[in-house]
Amino acid sequence: MRIERRLRQPWWLTVVVPVVSILLAFVLSAIVLLLTGHPPLKSFHRLFDAAFIANGALTETVVSATPLVFTGLAAAVAFRMNLFNIGGEGQLYGGAITGATVGLLLAGTPSPLVIAGMILAGAAGGAFLAAIPAVLRAFFSTNEIITSLMLNYVVGLVLEYLIFDSHSYLRDTTGFEAKVFPQGKTLPDEATWSSWTIHGLVLPLGFVLAVVLAVLVWILYSRTRFGFEVQVIGDSPRAGRYAGMRTRRKILAVMCLSGAIAGLGGASQTGDFQHQLDPRALRQANFGYTGIVVAALARYNPFAVVLVALLLGGLTNAGFTLQGADFPSGLVGVMQGLILFCALGGELFVRYRVRFAW
Amino acid sequence: MTSPPSPAVALRGITKRFPAVVANDHVDFEAAMGEVHALLGENGAGKTTLSNILTGLYRPDEGEILLFGQRAEFQSPRDALDAGIAMVHQHFRLVSPFTAAENVVLGDHRDIGRSFLLRPRVIEQRVRELAGRYGLAVDPRARIWQLSVGEQQRVEILKALYQDARILILDEPTAVLTPQEAEALFDTIRAMAADGRTVIFISHKLNEVKAVADRVTVLRRGRSLATVTAAEATPRSLAALMVGREVEVGRRDEARGATGDAVLEIDGLWADGDRGEAAVRNASLTVRAGEILGVAGVAGNGQRELAEAIAGMRPATAGFVRVRGRGLRNGDPRAAIAAGVAYVPEDRLGTGVAPGLSLASNVVLKAYREPHVSRGPLLRFRRIRELASGVIDRYDVRTSGPHVPAWQLSGGNLQKVVLAREFSGDPVVLVAAAPTRGLDVSGIETVHAYLREAASRGLGVLLISEDLDEILALADRIAVMYEGSVVGERDAGLATVEELGLLMAGGESAD
Amino acid sequence: MKKRKFALAVPLALAAALILALGVSTGSARTQKQSAAFKAAWIYVGPHNDNGWSQAHDKGRLYVQSKLGSSVETTYKENVPEGSQVSQVIESLIRDGNKIIFATSFGYQSAMVAAAKKHPDVKFEMATGTAQSANMAEYFGAGEDAIYLSGMAAGAATKRGVIGYVVPFATPEVVRHANAFALGAQATHPGARIKLIWTNSWFDPGKETKAAQSLHAGGADVLGQNVDSPATGQYAEKKGIPWVGYDSDAQKFAPKQWLTAAVYNWGPYYLRKVKAAMNGTWKTNFYYGTLKEGFVTLAPYGPKVKAKTKAAIAKKRAALIKGKFYEFAGPLYDQKGKLRVPKGKRLSVKQLYAMNWLVKGVIGSAKG
Repeated sequence: MRIERRLRQPWWLTVVVPVVSILLAFVLSAIVLLLTGHPPLKSFHRLFDAAFIANGALTETVVSATPLVFTGLAAAVAFRMNLFNIGGEGQLYGGAITGATVGLLLAGTPSPLVIAGMILAGAAGGAFLAAIPAVLRAFFSTNEIITSLMLNYVVGLVLEYLIFDSHSYLRDTTGFEAKVFPQGKTLPDEATWSSWTIHGLVLPLGFVLAVVLAVLVWILYSRTRFGFEVQVIGDSPRAGRYAGMRTRRKILAVMCLSGAIAGLGGASQTGDFQHQLDPRALRQANFGYTGIVVAALARYNPFAVVLVALLLGGLTNAGFTLQGADFPSGLVGVMQGLILFCALGGELFVRYRVRFAW
Repeated sequence: MTSPPSPAVALRGITKRFPAVVANDHVDFEAAMGEVHALLGENGAGKTTLSNILTGLYRPDEGEILLFGQRAEFQSPRDALDAGIAMVHQHFRLVSPFTAAENVVLGDHRDIGRSFLLRPRVIEQRVRELAGRYGLAVDPRARIWQLSVGEQQRVEILKALYQDARILILDEPTAVLTPQEAEALFDTIRAMAADGRTVIFISHKLNEVKAVADRVTVLRRGRSLATVTAAEATPRSLAALMVGREVEVGRRDEARGATGDAVLEIDGLWADGDRGEAAVRNASLTVRAGEILGVAGVAGNGQRELAEAIAGMRPATAGFVRVRGRGLRNGDPRAAIAAGVAYVPEDRLGTGVAPGLSLASNVVLKAYREPHVSRGPLLRFRRIRELASGVIDRYDVRTSGPHVPAWQLSGGNLQKVVLAREFSGDPVVLVAAAPTRGLDVSGIETVHAYLREAASRGLGVLLISEDLDEILALADRIAVMYEGSVVGERDAGLATVEELGLLMAGGESAD
Repeated sequence: MKKRKFALAVPLALAAALILALGVSTGSARTQKQSAAFKAAWIYVGPHNDNGWSQAHDKGRLYVQSKLGSSVETTYKENVPEGSQVSQVIESLIRDGNKIIFATSFGYQSAMVAAAKKHPDVKFEMATGTAQSANMAEYFGAGEDAIYLSGMAAGAATKRGVIGYVVPFATPEVVRHANAFALGAQATHPGARIKLIWTNSWFDPGKETKAAQSLHAGGADVLGQNVDSPATGQYAEKKGIPWVGYDSDAQKFAPKQWLTAAVYNWGPYYLRKVKAAMNGTWKTNFYYGTLKEGFVTLAPYGPKVKAKTKAAIAKKRAALIKGKFYEFAGPLYDQKGKLRVPKGKRLSVKQLYAMNWLVKGVIGSAKG
């Protein structure tokens, strides 16, 4: 038996395969559920109800999906050029730090100004952090996987230091609550990012921004000279050099773009949801690493990133609804894993085919 | 040597068809125990396909394989290995951070290789033993990246010997070796044969074949033409069999009219190779408008580095490249493109085109910055599709459309795309490095026609090729590169094959 | 180059559409049936069976369930991270009809405050927190009293007078717990020194093992902890040095080396508040449970605790309950030897909630 790349992808495959793989995911998880004595249909119903249907569920799904759209786009943007920026996690922290700082500094100025400042600062913070592995890669051929990954730990520790181990500008040292547990200063009201409500669905500014970014990234990568260069260099760096492309500049630009998007995700976390710099919440969430999974599942397609992020966000939320005294959280993980596994496995059959002899 | 009663390996009527070609057409072949048997043939004669069949990578469509008189069927390379057939590829399959001994064990599919418990001492001891016996000097503890190419090849051979291969296939083993290393390799080959092993030696170099082989089987266009005893054959008779005509190869029909001004001047150029060695040493050449200057030489004598230095892909460490009298910015491909240097690189798939991108994208690989293809930062897709369709029509590219990824195209069609793109940029100079390597006959003819046409349109063409016939057929003037230097420059009409061959081998020139 | 990307978007869009369609079809059939039982829920930061903090709360939940039987339906959410996820979890619990929600980690506080504002009809209970409102109560207990007693067991067990203490975050809660532990140890081993190592996590077995390792390597011959997992104990058992646990009876992880632990008995409080919520008498409070009420207590002793030590601890315990003794009464000196609480004075609960200095004999920083 061997697996080979398909020369041609028949159109019907793109319809049949996902349908079959989703069905397979249900069948497999139904078996697991039955074996553990839970009614499958009712469990599925609750899962999707909690993710997308129930009152307010979609809003919560959007909340969970927002950072994943940012980090997913950040990963996709870099991975497209075979630049493996694993530093989305740290770049998101960086954006959260700079975003929160600007939000606090600009207290008292009109809200749109504060928000714009936070957006810019978040992007700049993330871009700055991404520039470090980018420069090392472009000029010293240092492996960006390692440098960007190690930076995550550095920035993570800086983040903790700012709140737990120092009396930094960002740490609240006044209130009674702050004395009980170290925490970041609460951002002023004008630093709270706007949101829009449509038929009960709350769309935070961060999410809207992320979707707009997805569109822009798509245009950039499929319609522009810049995107063409990224495609060529990603496919074959030598061909890019041969064609007279400035590969170093492109590495810097793409890494910084990737970092800026992740940094925006950090600013959105503070501006949209947390309203203070919260190291534990940021570090526990693993948005950056999950973003890599999102990008991979979306095959680096920016629109697919949005869909996958919503799917993943919904599944996470639904997971918390499903679990409880009678439904162990491990079983929820198994169901989520099966759905993702089948979605990914299905992709394989679209691009490759299995032959049993030759 | 006469054929012994039971050959170690025999192929009978092997046929292998690929979608476009019949790579092997009822090939018969046999080699005895203790024999060195050369497989001689031009590129594309079917040598590689045959060895892939013998090592279990392909299964023949027709015919049978006999090992020591027994019928054998290989489902996978593993089966062939188990049957005692090992191959030393041109491109080594070694893990560079590992030691020589570790690599030797990695290749072993039997007990020791399979068990989790490695006993390094024992393995090193065994490797040393084998190395001593066959004159394969290599330190078992050295890491691959520390070894020279010749030493790496020895590790590959040790791998084969370590798993007790009775039949060894060496695929153009001397292509990467220095003459001294090649001599040492021949000693090793003789020692292995003396031990009763069968060595199948794939080559297209007549002298080597004469020097080391007992018998020679000549392949041409997928057929086995003849098997002759090496001692009785002459280089001339072998060459005749190999190319199917007498060696007096077709020269350029007639000298072309007067050529124009110098368009490409290379002056005292030095450039480093990938390993930091001085690969191009003080090379000076001049190409005039309307002429083809052929650069001959054995592969690895700095030709690739020279071409890359001209195209700006490799920074020169000293010297100048001038196009139409103006110096090029060193190490800047974009400057070379802007100055009118078209470049057909040796490595088509990977440098000449981006393999994963569509044909259309590859057609505008260089032109994408031009205003007729992009408007501001945006690309004009309709124009790109039109351009690609134009190329497909005009150059007769066999493909189902502009959207097909480049890696799906055959070598000949790919080269047409590369040439079409390079010509579209209104170049002054065309640097073509090994432009016909790996192409079939019709592909070669097409490329040759385009090169001639380019020269007749007034381009200066620098043709770098290891194929002397090709250079003799096309060039107006011929230069030879040896160890990074230009060692001779002749008018094509005055050069003789003997003289050029001597220059390529590092001999003194007659004048 | 365009076509390929499009082909990728199609299956994903389809998959999403399919999931939505499936959800809608089942969702429309959904009815908001309310069961007769009163619903109460708990949110845990770790697994419900973490052998530590979360498990202690879950024991409390099971206590409520067993006492009230079918008239209540209790549930829990475990492994809930302290980020934006919490509010989603709270919302889904409210959607499921829960009328009282106990959140058991400080990091949930801001989400709880927001939810309390949004849902005035639901009662919110926040363990170890500080924010109180009409429908949000705070509860915790004087863990330090029991920790002081467990510190006495550690002090009696040390030979070199060096005790290692694995601590999570440099918060006043943990600082006062470390202080109480040190004071208790010094009561049975005058001059004992307590070395701290911060893990910056409530529950992280890996980091806790490493901390235990370096404390042992640094000369500690008894280990204690204020973190939630039994990893320190497992290490201590392996190395053969006595161990004092925290917040759950974890003797089974170190049967030979287990001394004791300060534990919380959340059950009675939970029972009282759930009952009150059921019959409409629920009131907000800032509850601080004591030894006397049995809210905090000591876990059963291990085999290494000598009878003499047990007697000394029993005496102190009785004195604490009667109010004749208080560990945070003057004179108390800080690490540098400065007098912080003069003789005759004692620290109030509010002062305890803001404690940011370590007592004499503790080696480490109060800033983490």
